[in-house]
Amino acid sequence: MSNRNPLDYSINKPLVTSFNPFRYLFKDITLVLALIAVLLFGLAMLYSSSGQSFSMVIRQSIYVFVGLIMMIFISHLKPDSYKNILMHSYWIGLLLLIYVLFNPAEGYTTSRWIDIGFFQFQPSEVIRLILPLSIVAYLHRKESKIRLEDWLYTTLAALMCSYLVFEQPDLGTSIIVFTSGIIPIYLAGLPYRVIAAYLGMLAIVSPFIWSSLLDYQKQRVLTYFDSNVDPLGDGWNIAQSQTAIGSGGFFGKGYLEGTQSQLNFIPESHSDFIFSVIGEEFGLMGITCLFLVYAMIIWRIFKIGLSAQSAFERLACCSLGFIFLLFILINVSMVIGIIPVVGVPLPLISQGGTSIVVHLLAFGVILSAKRPQL
Amino acid sequence: MRTIQDLRRDEKDTQSLRSRSGVIFFFLLILIISGVFKILQLTILDRVNYETESEKNRIINIPIYPARGLIKLEDGTLIAENIVTKDLYIKTKLYETSIDQVEQLNDKVLDENRKITQLQVPIQDEEKIWLARNLSEQELAKYEVQKNSIPNIQLEAKLRRYLPHKNLFSHVIGHLGLINMDERLSLSRAEYPDDSFIGKVGLEKSYEKTLRGKAGISLMEVDVYGNKIREINRVLPDKPFNLTLTLDLRLQKIAQEELANRRGAVVALDPKTGFIKALVSSPDYNPNILNGSESGSSVSKSSMENSPFFNRAISGLYPPASTIKPFIGLLGLEEKLITESTIVEDKGFFQLKEEGRKYRGWKEDGHGKVDLKKAIVESSDVYFYELASKLTIDRISSFLLRFGFGEISGIDLINESKSILPTRNWKLGNIGEAWFVGDTINIGIGQGYISSTPLQLAVSLSAIANRGKIFQPKLIRNNQLDDYEPDLLMEVQIENPRHWNIIEKSMISVINSWNGTAHNLYEEGGITIAGKTGTAQIKSLTDQDLTVREEYEGIRKDIENRDHALFASYGPVPDPNLVVVVIVENGESGSAVAAPIAKRLIEQYQININES
Repeated sequence: MSNRNPLDYSINKPLVTSFNPFRYLFKDITLVLALIAVLLFGLAMLYSSSGQSFSMVIRQSIYVFVGLIMMIFISHLKPDSYKNILMHSYWIGLLLLIYVLFNPAEGYTTSRWIDIGFFQFQPSEVIRLILPLSIVAYLHRKESKIRLEDWLYTTLAALMCSYLVFEQPDLGTSIIVFTSGIIPIYLAGLPYRVIAAYLGMLAIVSPFIWSSLLDYQKQRVLTYFDSNVDPLGDGWNIAQSQTAIGSGGFFGKGYLEGTQSQLNFIPESHSDFIFSVIGEEFGLMGITCLFLVYAMIIWRIFKIGLSAQSAFERLACCSLGFIFLLFILINVSMVIGIIPVVGVPLPLISQGGTSIVVHLLAFGVILSAKRPQL
Repeated sequence: MRTIQDLRRDEKDTQSLRSRSGVIFFFLLILIISGVFKILQLTILDRVNYETESEKNRIINIPIYPARGLIKLEDGTLIAENIVTKDLYIKTKLYETSIDQVEQLNDKVLDENRKITQLQVPIQDEEKIWLARNLSEQELAKYEVQKNSIPNIQLEAKLRRYLPHKNLFSHVIGHLGLINMDERLSLSRAEYPDDSFIGKVGLEKSYEKTLRGKAGISLMEVDVYGNKIREINRVLPDKPFNLTLTLDLRLQKIAQEELANRRGAVVALDPKTGFIKALVSSPDYNPNILNGSESGSSVSKSSMENSPFFNRAISGLYPPASTIKPFIGLLGLEEKLITESTIVEDKGFFQLKEEGRKYRGWKEDGHGKVDLKKAIVESSDVYFYELASKLTIDRISSFLLRFGFGEISGIDLINESKSILPTRNWKLGNIGEAWFVGDTINIGIGQGYISSTPLQLAVSLSAIANRGKIFQPKLIRNNQLDDYEPDLLMEVQIENPRHWNIIEKSMISVINSWNGTAHNLYEEGGITIAGKTGTAQIKSLTDQDLTVREEYEGIRKDIENRDHALFASYGPVPDPNLVVVVIVENGESGSAVAAPIAKRLIEQYQININES
């Protein structure tokens, strides 16, 4: 290098011109732009669905801003430097889940919320992403091959969280927590003989699980089969949300023009059911555009993941990619009425600071897997 | 340092990751595909259904009811209007538990004259029990003070029908009432919700549609809680029409005043137009109570037993009695059975043949030699017994039919009774017996099977006043124009129009001649009135052995058996403008009781006309 003529532009020029501060800062501009697009769209939809509450949008934008800063910060760390923290964050999650069972926030019938003065959050929303990340970090804490007992420990870790959520009680989320734990375990190469053993055990214990379900949990499952069963319960909510999406048609009724959402016919329209507001106000066209942006995000996640250098990074990206996709699918399926109602927000769009921040942290992990490009 | 081995392991690792990703993706694909189909179904296939559903969700129709049409007199005097009343009610289900509150209301709010004396047991199927209607200013102020301590008693403001003259027009205007089951069957709930008031009798009923108008609709956007957000569209109600009454306030007042504490009816109409100028039936009631715009009792205690809701003027059937004599006399002239100078010897009774039944006249000793004029002036029964027996029932009934006997006049009120004009067939059908000559003889003096309503009698009499023309009697003017063309109901054509004058002259003499039955009305230089008294017997004099006077005294003891007093008249002659029929039940003497009422009305009407 030392003998290079500093005046030789043919070598220096590409080096200088290829340096793009944005590419350095954001690492994957396509992914970050797509994220920002979805986040901004989410804020706009929040304004519409919250009865045009400006304060709610401001509050949400603060979380978005903080989340983005944290995402960019994490994306510049070396995975090895936070792998241990990720691994042990499992215990924090677990403690929160235990804490919420004994000290739930007041004003709710179930123990899902923790009240820490200035804001409330659901630990189950945190654990949904903490659990898979800690499992990935645990499985790849060393370079060596994964041992048999590691599969058992991680499965137990997932079951533990899932059980604590179930105790809140929240059947839907407990299933989702378990699923988000089992995805990285499976992707990491869970041997098929272990899977067979699990399934065998499941067949034995499942009758006991069903009999221990609470009435309302059974009710939620049954609602799935017939949305006319309880006109003012979940079935009514689903019927209203379907009406909203269906009446939106192809082009939608226009921003802030959705009658179902503006007149409060859609329950929880700013949180779990925000998708039906999108459907009503922007129609099939709006839904398709949103899905395309989501698809682009997922494509970038897998692109980054499959070309990452370490097994930890690859597994983390792919797991998070699937979990992200799974959350979208579950939320949308619930809103359009093809699966029972479960408490899953639409990622990056639904109201809820915890969900947004945790998702953006996960995107920080994903981005950190990408080698800096100069 | 990464070795070849590391790279190989990486390669293998990535391979496994890819294939396992494929498996997961396959499962998620099921969700993706079913989701896509569902979304397409919602937004494309079933879009129209969901659009309707969404509209149904947010839009409700609220009917707008126009205020009921007003009823006025020609000079603009309000007869029926709508007022805002403030009423107190308690929900039926709360009643049992809040009797102390009702008592408090009684003690501290309500005026002395309307204390709730007996706390009646609530009717279960009614949602509200009305405690006091149409609160006065003072009561309202007291209620405001007490309001918080009697929370179960609530205030409701409503537009209600109010008749400023209260009882005066009760039998003309009628009243409203809650819609009942029968009316429900033919009326939609959109036009008439369950708590709506509907005309029950009188003009309120016969002009219900006109007065009510057509309800408008307000399309209101509501949210999920039913809060009204905004009005999307409004179809204004069709403005109801106001009605103009033909009645004359002063005549109406006089008639009511004269009939006060009596049972009876007065009908006065303008023979040239058919417009009713006075229509009073006594006793009457206060429609405001039934309309809910006033509190108290709708009928006075004294009138309670005398069917105050029965409109005697149009529904009461009375024997026309001697008032029919001018018509029978006219028929006799027309049929050339008598002339002006035909003399009949009135010995006090009439016999068809020797030793036959004696048909007695009202004057025991008879009127002596009687011609047509004297027969009408003195009201000789024997003269008309004989005439009727010669005329036969067939000729009498077909002639009377032309004057409107046996028909309804078609006045714009409901419940008009059809008067009875018997024929041979009528008797066969209704009594089941053949017609006897004796029946005809009774008809000759307006007794027996024949009966008239006061209104029908007035309509028939207007033919004599009008030389044959009978105009449709009406209470409501169709238009305000002065060049109103009256509806001709029928026209009686007679062969010799001079006969009208003969009859009219006789009827004038009823008042003007010293021997006239209504000579008490005569006044030197007063208005010329043509009239005929009548005394309708309720109990017929059948006992052959008693004299008329003896038998009468027996009957008279019981007020209910006393005769009805009738007076049918018109004036002023010539060019009469008012036909008046007065009936006072059990009033006994047409001349003493009924005739002065008619005279007052005719005189007052002339003053009214000169004023305007």
